[in-house]
Formats: sequence, C-alpha cells, structure tokens
Amino acid sequence: MARAARLSLMSPVAGIGRGVIALTNLVGALTQFTLRALLACVTLPWNTRELGRQVMAIGFYSLPVVGLTAAFTGAALALNIFTGGGRFNAEQIVPQIVALGVTRELAPVLTALILAGRVSATIAAEIGAMRATEQLDAMRTLSTDPFRYLIAPRLLAGVMTIPLLTGVADLIGIAGGLAISASSLGFNPEIYARSTVEFLTLDDVTSGLIKGAVFGFILTLMGCYHGYRSVGGAAGVGRAATQAMVWSGVLIFASDYLLTRLFTAS
Amino acid sequence: MRHNWTETLVGAVVLLGAAGFLAYLLSVGQVVTGEGRYKVTARFGQVGSLKAGDDVRVAGVRVGQVEKISLDPKTYFAITDLALDANIVLPSDSTAKVTSDGLLGGALIAIEPGGSETNLKPGGQIENTQGAVDLFGLIGQFINKPSPAPAPATDLP
Repeated sequence: MARAARLSLMSPVAGIGRGVIALTNLVGALTQFTLRALLACVTLPWNTRELGRQVMAIGFYSLPVVGLTAAFTGAALALNIFTGGGRFNAEQIVPQIVALGVTRELAPVLTALILAGRVSATIAAEIGAMRATEQLDAMRTLSTDPFRYLIAPRLLAGVMTIPLLTGVADLIGIAGGLAISASSLGFNPEIYARSTVEFLTLDDVTSGLIKGAVFGFILTLMGCYHGYRSVGGAAGVGRAATQAMVWSGVLIFASDYLLTRLFTAS
Repeated sequence: MRHNWTETLVGAVVLLGAAGFLAYLLSVGQVVTGEGRYKVTARFGQVGSLKAGDDVRVAGVRVGQVEKISLDPKTYFAITDLALDANIVLPSDSTAKVTSDGLLGGALIAIEPGGSETNLKPGGQIENTQGAVDLFGLIGQFINKPSPAPAPATDLP
C-alpha cells in the first residue's frame, strides 16, 4: 500500500492509469457477472425449489417490516402536507399528494432500501460464506453451476416479489395517511378514500411497480455479486455484506432518478 | 432457513390488511342500488363539484346516494338521480340543496323535508331545489363591486 502511494506520488500518470484500469476491471467484472446471471435466469432448467424458498424469504417474510415502514411514512407524509398546505389554505389536497407521493416515489424507494438492508446483505453474507468455506468451488467440482443454483433464483425472486411488496406498501402507506387524517386532521375517511381513488391514475401505480422491479434486480444482483467476489474469509464476508448494502442504496437512488425522468417526461 | 410462526402470522396479517384496505378503497363511492332503495330525481341549476356516489342526507343523516348526474339538453339543468333508502319517506314538497360537508369535505345533497300530506313516490321528482353556491363567483362579485364612497383624491406634494 505504502509502495503504491509512493509510486503514484512519483508518477501521477501511473496513478491515473491504475485507477482507470481498476474502474474498467470493475465494470467488466460486473457486466460479465450480470450477463452470466441473466443467462442463467432466462434458460431452463430453473431451480424452482430454491426459487420458491427465495420468494418466501425475500417477499413474504419482508412483509412486516415493509408494512410498518409504509404505514409510518404515509402518516408522516400526511401530517407534513397538512402543515405545508395550511400555509396557503390548501389542506384539502392531502389525500391527493399522499397518494401520489406514496405510489410514485416512497413505496418503491423505501421498500427497496429496507430490502437492501434485509435481503441484499443477507444474500452477500450467504454467498460470501460459501465462497469463504470453498462451497462454491465444491459446487463447481460437482458440475453444479452456482449461477443456476444460487444466483438466478435470487435474482428472479427479487424481480418478482419487490413489485408485489411495493403494491402492498402503496396500500398500507395510503391507509396510514388516511388513518392519521381521519383521526387527527378532521378528514372524513370516506371522502379521503374517494379523493384518492378518483385522483390516482394507472400510470402512478404502474410506474412505482416498474421501479420496484428494477430495484429488486439491483439489490439482489449487488448481494450476489459482492458475495460471489468476496475474498478473505470472515472479514471478507462482512465487507461483502456492507458493500452490497451500500452499492444497492446508491444504485437504487441513481436509477430512481433516471426512471423518474423517464416516467415524468411528457 | 427456518422461520418463526409469529413471523408467518404477522406477514399474513399485513397481506390481509392491505387486501382489506384495497377492498375498502374500491367499495367507497360505489352506489348500492336494488333492494331497499327507491329512486327520485332532482333538477339543479348548478351542481358544482357534486359527483355520482356522493351522499344524500336529511338533517345530516345519510339516507341515500347520488346515482347519476346528467344534463338536460333542452333546459341546461343538471338532472341528478338519487337512490334513497326505502324506509325513508319524504313529503312531496321537500327541498333538495347542494351543499358541502365542511371545508375539507366533498359535496352532498341535503334534503329538507316539507310539510305536505302526500309523499314522494318512487320515480318522482323533487321540485324545490337549490343549486350549489359558486363561492368564487361570490368572492368575485364582492371584489369587483364598485366601492360606494370613493376615497377623496388627496394632493400630495
């Protein structure tokens, strides 16, 4: 390390070159990994047993935490919009803005971030531990493709379940907003519900669900990639889990911006 | 991966809650027709933001819903079809009024029962109506009204 630093001090050009090569390496490795994983996803045979297990682990067992997050977020959003709307006497806009904010932005992004912590890190630790204990190599010796056996089911489960979780978060977020508006802001629950239904368009909901599918792919891919490439035993497993989480988060926000640009372009 | 049964239970509860709320969202504003309801119509000069599915109330108590709103092409009046509970019998000279449920509420039709001996029959029409009040129109009138005593011009240096 010290030698590398001295070298780059002596020759900034070499430092730049090393950085570029490292970046190119990373992009190349990630692309290769993604393509192999996608190939395993779209070709038969599918490992349906593992897929089912992952759908339950990623999807069903994330429901409680997703539900809690959505309910509190919807309620807080309603209170904030009520306060903000009150500054220009527009309190009655609460149901519409809560519905729009939850379906288009908060439900997909917060669900994905929660799952980046819950699922992405778990996957990275799982596969990283298998790498550390040489189970991945053993698998290959037995001519079992880890991409087919481990990675494809997780990716497919992520892409399939996170839109569904987003849909659940949509509903519960709106319910949270309704509950607080009806109980302490003086809204009539029925009129609130009807304003929501009349205001929301199909686009609002589907754009959120599409975001969910993309985020699901990103966070499972990051988990698999960092776990698969982890080096250095137990410490490496921890590093892989952290990196999977951090990179999932960053990529989720970046792709969220791009997708929102796409969905709001008229 | 083994899971605790409480996790399974909580997951199922969240799913059921979401499904229940979806059912609630889709059910509000659905007009219940058929058994136990009868229809009357009322014509208004202006219905404002009234929509199909809004409440019909007597003394603040919900007795039915607006089923349909259409425009009479000859007179340009709005014709509202109301579905009322069968056990609510109203005098034929009752007054229907389009009003609003507070500042945060939606529009609704309030019926003030009259004193007639005869009752509204199914398919009948409420003759005495009062349309929605155009709040912004009122404000506009008030603002644009010429002030009665124009301020005397003062000469400023």
